Amino acid sequence: MTFLPEDHEALEEFMSQAVSDKTSLHVAGTGTKEKLGDRVTADASLSLGRLSGIVDYQPEELIIVAKPGTRMDEINAALAEKNQMLAFEPANLASLYGAEHAGSVGGIVAANLSGPRRISAGAARDYLLGFTAVSGRGTSFTSGSRVMKNVTGYDLSKLICGSMGTLAVMSELTLKVLPRPETSTTLSVKCAALAQAQKALSAAFKSATEPSGGAITHARSGALSLGDEPAAAHVRLEGVAQSVTDRISTLSDILAGFGEVSVLEQDASEAFWQDVRDIAMLDETAEQVWKLSVAPSVVSDVINMITAQTSIRFFCDWAGGLVMLSGAGDGLNQIVRSAVEAHGGGHASLLRAPDTMRAAISSFHPQPAALAGLHDRIRDSFDPLHLLNPGKMGPALT
Amino acid sequence: MLMPAPDKTTLSRRGEICTALKAMLPAGCVIDDDATMRAYDADGLSSYRQMPLVVVLPETTEQVAEVLRWCRDNDVKVVPRGAGTSLSGGALPLADGVLLALGKFNQITDVDFENRCVVTQPGVTNLGITHAVQDEGFYYAPDPSSQIACSIGGNIAENSGGVHCLKYGLTTNNVLGIEMVTMDGDILRLGGKHLDAGNLDVLGVMTGSEGLLGVVTEVTVRILRKPATQRAILVGFDSAQEAGQAVSNVIAAGIIPAGMEMMDNPAINAAEDFVQAGYPREAAALLIVELDGPEVEVDYLLERVGEVMERSGSSSLRVSQSEAERNQFWAGRKSAFPAVGRISPDYLCMDGTIPRKALPEMLTRMSAMSQKFGLRVANVFHAGDGNLHPLILFDANVEGELHRAEEFGAEILRNCVALGGVLTGEHGVGVEKRDLMGEMFTEEDMKQQQRVKCAFDPGHLLNPGKVFPLLHRCAELGRLHVHHGKLPHPDLPRF
Repeated sequence: MTFLPEDHEALEEFMSQAVSDKTSLHVAGTGTKEKLGDRVTADASLSLGRLSGIVDYQPEELIIVAKPGTRMDEINAALAEKNQMLAFEPANLASLYGAEHAGSVGGIVAANLSGPRRISAGAARDYLLGFTAVSGRGTSFTSGSRVMKNVTGYDLSKLICGSMGTLAVMSELTLKVLPRPETSTTLSVKCAALAQAQKALSAAFKSATEPSGGAITHARSGALSLGDEPAAAHVRLEGVAQSVTDRISTLSDILAGFGEVSVLEQDASEAFWQDVRDIAMLDETAEQVWKLSVAPSVVSDVINMITAQTSIRFFCDWAGGLVMLSGAGDGLNQIVRSAVEAHGGGHASLLRAPDTMRAAISSFHPQPAALAGLHDRIRDSFDPLHLLNPGKMGPALT
Repeated sequence: MLMPAPDKTTLSRRGEICTALKAMLPAGCVIDDDATMRAYDADGLSSYRQMPLVVVLPETTEQVAEVLRWCRDNDVKVVPRGAGTSLSGGALPLADGVLLALGKFNQITDVDFENRCVVTQPGVTNLGITHAVQDEGFYYAPDPSSQIACSIGGNIAENSGGVHCLKYGLTTNNVLGIEMVTMDGDILRLGGKHLDAGNLDVLGVMTGSEGLLGVVTEVTVRILRKPATQRAILVGFDSAQEAGQAVSNVIAAGIIPAGMEMMDNPAINAAEDFVQAGYPREAAALLIVELDGPEVEVDYLLERVGEVMERSGSSSLRVSQSEAERNQFWAGRKSAFPAVGRISPDYLCMDGTIPRKALPEMLTRMSAMSQKFGLRVANVFHAGDGNLHPLILFDANVEGELHRAEEFGAEILRNCVALGGVLTGEHGVGVEKRDLMGEMFTEEDMKQQQRVKCAFDPGHLLNPGKVFPLLHRCAELGRLHVHHGKLPHPDLPRF
């Protein structure tokens, strides 16, 4: 049975009944990222596909208010019309998960999915100004606001972002939006080795050229690596045309110290970063896809430690701090997670794997006991009966 | 403003509590004589004063953990304190509470240009971080006006903003990680030099939690490369309404300046008297717009902002021609508070935020309220993000004026909420705006926030009496099916 509420009241009534009956719920936006996170076992399904639509869009206030089931293509089209955007550059993972579209805005927020501009503009969690939701207690509550600058009460928006529908079911959310940059250009530099590419990115991000993206491709990154070079660093510059032209010249000089520099203009630049954003540079048929977040400076060490043990394809984003990799085998879990832990920490999350593997290992990086306990207590404070997406973020300790 | 009645048992156990704290901390880390404790009896909201039970100044994270664990086991309240510059009373002591001051956590531990971040102890000042990295051309972006004194730990507690958060975000957008201690004495590491939590974003909810959820003992912040060029424009308007509209027009033109400040005529003249910044005294309102970035970009944007201002009816416009002149433009704005302090014996500084487009309407209402309460008001705004700092002028020595000023302030904040805004943009709720929380949140909204508090501190021992007007027992909050608006414990004290 799937329940499809069309407004907040219907959602609240349904949730209230579910609490009374202790009916556990598989919660989804439009269901395009079903396979992200751990497997859910629940009594019934709650889909937000019909709790949809842009409620209020005020370009001059830099906010958009939408219901969670609103499809991303609708949001993006509305923003594009006013020359604005979601600056955190949410990914379209349709091809990664075999879905038909980019999913819903609620799903993007629930998964805290951010793209290449994460490194300069922040994550989804930095753009959720406020929301209304129904908690796992069946009661409605609102947090945050519709203004940019607000410190009234706890910032529950941060908890909702990335909570994968395990705390509360949103019925409306307000996101901050920003003007779209006028132009986009990418400078690429061929490097002798991965470590060199990482150093090139570091030099770019240390400069005053304000990069808005920093990626590394490799001979093992699929079609987009440059020729036969082992690695290439790519730096994106965005903004008003005069400024970008000026910064291209400064950045070219910096990158020339690392290897041969080439330029991707507007369309090619946008296409490249779309592939980075949508994780389109890995082996499409690979058994597993992983996402690692580490300090940018250790990325080549992390990858070298992994490739010494197993064969992977990979590319890096976020100035080197994000590694997307595809590979196979039961041991890969242990290999990538210990590589992260051996290099100052971070996290390794499983983005895609066969169901049997998802049942055996958690998609989420293991937490120290004290922090895991706190997570459980926070989850209980919203959903004491564990009705919302039970198991999605791993089994509860209690 | 009423604080919870001090617990008599705790007060009577003071000697025993001091002895226990002295046993767990190095010599000189426990302050229990009145003369020395006096320095800690208030924060930046100095109209409220309270001597703490005792002050402790631990030196290590383990000592913080030991103090908190002992206090939890002995049912003793704790108030954390950074530099004590909060404008909302976040660090106001409790008579029956240990004041846990982080002043000895004053070292920067790691400056990492490769990863563009700094790891520091929480007692280091906001500006101290910039000082540590400026020789390499970097800075820490959030710049609260108290940045010379306020600590980075306190910035996290308050989610501090500043003049440049329009473009660079608040503290929460610039913190990468923390080490914190819970009331249970658990030491947790959240985030670090990598991005995102990869799980529940506990760091996000810790930031801005006003010292109610945990004590921060280490901080990792991102640092940014200093922009190549910074220039400011000074724009006068004949009406505050036009100035407010001009602010919206800049944003609508797709321009996000580094900062966009507004001052009304009383604030302009107070500042001009004080520092002679060259402001147009006759203007009804003044905008200071700062643009930063590569020189060609700044030049281009200066031109475009100038066009918008002209279209919006500006009466005067000056662009800074040198770094000295830019600093001079800012000198008036940055001295607005002390300048107002010279023309009035006392003032209250408010901190609501409204949607940008409501600025003209808010200014009209502000004049009406000023007349109604018979008190002058000088307005300085972080106009770009709709954050208002009305300064209400009064004389505490005149019977009833403080009360009237507080009423005026509360009415301003109610108007902020009514116009679609919020009670506080950057100063925090603390004790100051605690009793106004119901203007913005329903009982259920606040209960859900307090349930989160219970996940961290079920005994309500950490900084109680702040932020929430009604203290719910965690057991009661945990119950399901509470009827809307019906308070299950009418006997519980409201304060």
